[in-house]
Amino acid sequence: MTGTTPAPPAPRSPADAGPTSPPPAGPSPGPAGTTATNPAGTATTSLALTGRGLWRRARWYLVVLAVLLIGATAVAAIGQDRRYPPLDPRSYDRDGAHAVLALLEHQGLKTDLTTDPTGHPTGADTLVLPEPDLLSPAELRAVAAARHSRLVLIAPGPAALSALAPGIRSSEEDGGPPYASVRSTAAQCSLTEAVRAGTAGIGGMLYTNGSRGEGCYPRGHGYPLVSTPAVGGDVIVLGTGAFLHNEELAKDGNAALALGLLGSQPHLTWHLPDYTAPLAQGTRDKTFGDYVPDGWRWAGYQLAVAAVLTALWRGRRLGPVISENLPVVVRAAETTEGRARLYRRAKARGRAAEALRRATAHRLAPALGVPLQAGEPDPDTLCAAVADRLPEQPAGDVRALLFGPPPTDDAALLRLADDLDALERQVRNP
Amino acid sequence: MALTGRTALLAALGTLVVGLLLPSWAGIGLVTGTVLLAAVIDLALAAPVRSLRLGRGGDTTVRLGEPASVELTVTNPSGRPLRARIRDAWAPSAWRPGTAEAASRHTLLVPGGERRRAVTVLTPTRRGDHHARRVTVRSLGPLGLAGRQGSHVLPWTVRALPPFASRKHLPSRLARLRELDGRTSVLTRGQGTEFDSLREYLPGDDVRSIDWRASARRNTVAVRTWRPERDRHILIVLDTGRTSAGRVGDAPRLDAALDAALLLTALATRAGDRVDLLAHDARKRVAVAGSSASEILPAFTNAMASLEPALHETDMRSLVSTALKMAPHRSLIVLLTGLDAAPVEDGLRPLLPLLTKRHEVVLASVADPHLDALAAGRGTLEAVYGAAAAEQTRADRRATAERLTRHGVTVLDAAPTQLAPALADTYLALKAAGRL
Repeated sequence: MTGTTPAPPAPRSPADAGPTSPPPAGPSPGPAGTTATNPAGTATTSLALTGRGLWRRARWYLVVLAVLLIGATAVAAIGQDRRYPPLDPRSYDRDGAHAVLALLEHQGLKTDLTTDPTGHPTGADTLVLPEPDLLSPAELRAVAAARHSRLVLIAPGPAALSALAPGIRSSEEDGGPPYASVRSTAAQCSLTEAVRAGTAGIGGMLYTNGSRGEGCYPRGHGYPLVSTPAVGGDVIVLGTGAFLHNEELAKDGNAALALGLLGSQPHLTWHLPDYTAPLAQGTRDKTFGDYVPDGWRWAGYQLAVAAVLTALWRGRRLGPVISENLPVVVRAAETTEGRARLYRRAKARGRAAEALRRATAHRLAPALGVPLQAGEPDPDTLCAAVADRLPEQPAGDVRALLFGPPPTDDAALLRLADDLDALERQVRNP
Repeated sequence: MALTGRTALLAALGTLVVGLLLPSWAGIGLVTGTVLLAAVIDLALAAPVRSLRLGRGGDTTVRLGEPASVELTVTNPSGRPLRARIRDAWAPSAWRPGTAEAASRHTLLVPGGERRRAVTVLTPTRRGDHHARRVTVRSLGPLGLAGRQGSHVLPWTVRALPPFASRKHLPSRLARLRELDGRTSVLTRGQGTEFDSLREYLPGDDVRSIDWRASARRNTVAVRTWRPERDRHILIVLDTGRTSAGRVGDAPRLDAALDAALLLTALATRAGDRVDLLAHDARKRVAVAGSSASEILPAFTNAMASLEPALHETDMRSLVSTALKMAPHRSLIVLLTGLDAAPVEDGLRPLLPLLTKRHEVVLASVADPHLDALAAGRGTLEAVYGAAAAEQTRADRRATAERLTRHGVTVLDAAPTQLAPALADTYLALKAAGRL
């Protein structure tokens, strides 16, 4: 409803120039449609904040923001909490492997952490590869050629197996289950370390033992621990490194098995896998983004800028939301409906029937000319009047209907209501 | 500061420039920078909002349900033209649901140094005072890319008066009043005490009213006619306590009571009686006394406009004493209250003798038609229990009315649409019977 009519450029009279004020709230001369005018005054009505008002409103937000920034900086400076991946020998977490490394050092082993597994050993040593699948084929070949006295592979995939432990395959390729849950298992083999350790919490990937290898802790068709001789030493293939975790080391024979497997040589090298290294080429599928021309990626960024501008456009309201105090809504029939529910829950058939009978009697009385005494018709007079009006109706039935005993079940109550209606209809139209 | 859809559209079109010509950060920077620069220039060229002069005019009262026009005059003192989107914000109940958005928005073009007028049409849905909240102006620049936005406060109040829907019953009741008055050819003999005139005896007239002295002077038998008393005092007492808050249909009981009070006031004023109004719950809300016949209806509607039901119990003792103070001589006291057993039995009944001793008392109450629908329920157990509860409620109301009638009170219990004509009829009947 926009009426845009040019108003005459009225000359400013002194009376005209008063400040805008609300209309008088008192009684107005007419019952409806009273009109008043209050033309544009000179006093400002603007709500715009001045510089001081802006500062007064914003200062607490600024203080809170400053406190938050300082707090965040302080927390970031203090909490130099580094997270290590699982099975990292520097990690004190539950799934770290610092405990086993500390035990080995206590026994006099020389330990070494390396990110490059391809180095050649100087003497008898053990190389632990926690993630052999992350090594490139060239690195795998280099490791195989380095002739370590013992090579410990944890959950190797087919590529690492064929390069480092020829003859051993995943149990899945032999038709067995690929995995087994980690739980206490008896050694059941002649490998010295396993026999000394007894039971150990082991499981994970399952492998076949090949022609020359020795499988321990059998689970179904496969073994979670396989030892096989290799050039210059032996290779231990483990289905899981869980028993090396700080948390698990004290259970069963885990510690004995770990010390046996890793501590057989005077020197231990632990590889720290590079989790950020990209997977070997050729394994990744081309994504949708690879097919989009380069220019359109920049167009996408520009589209995002347009989206931000759209959000700013749509997000700016023309003034704040207006609130209003509304009266409470109480339905007048609420108490009656509540009473009906109470009757029903209490199975108050007697009371309900009484109310319906009294109402019918009260409506019949004027129709039959029976006087009311204290608001109620006299039962005998009423029954006699009904009998007069409806001679074919047995008088006993009418009396039982209007003043009989309360109904005994729900069906009787429903029937009573219908019978009362029928009686009223008959009396009105005999 | 506000952006428009054009800015976003320009940035979106810039996608083509970036995608086809300059696929790099530089391209994005160039396009976005151009768009933002244009927006900033636009913003600088827009007419200022803070220095606008706004004024108001228009209706200050309106009958509920009818439209009210409030003018908004915008003067642009700056040299630049003002292209404005204006929102004249009022509380949501100032418009019918769903129409507020369209009714409160205006688009104005005000050349520099001139002024223009926009008209906001309000259709209030609630009785009472509606206050203007704030006027928000968005002043767009010449390119329509960005605008300045600010708010002004211009107080204005539109009072929504009770709708007085029952005024359609007024002509028929006025006709009956004229019959009572003996002004029309159909002569209904009133029992009042004011002698009107003599006329010829007609079969059916009360023989006690034959004026033998006058009959002796003429050849026919003459009877005296009386006309109803004039200048009686009527006090309408509105109970605005919690019983008046109950909703019957869409409106609280109070609204139906106000409607009935207005019809009675209009009728009684035409009949030459004086009417006063009292609204009371825990304390006195409104008292209008001594208004002259010409200004009584406006005074009453104005006083009733801001009446809201209070959610606490009415202090009947205070109500009765205030009513007695306002009616020092014999009056007709019309009590618009509820017929619920507990408040009437405990609060009103012990005090009734004080009222009925000197005054004629009518108690009018708004019945709930939903009870009738509930009482007619049959077929399912739930419906039958509902019917029983409704019948019980009606019996209780009847019993309360019965007890009040025994105190000499005339009791009315009618549905919201029926209450006003029923009250007017009761008034006419009392007047015809000479009981005022």
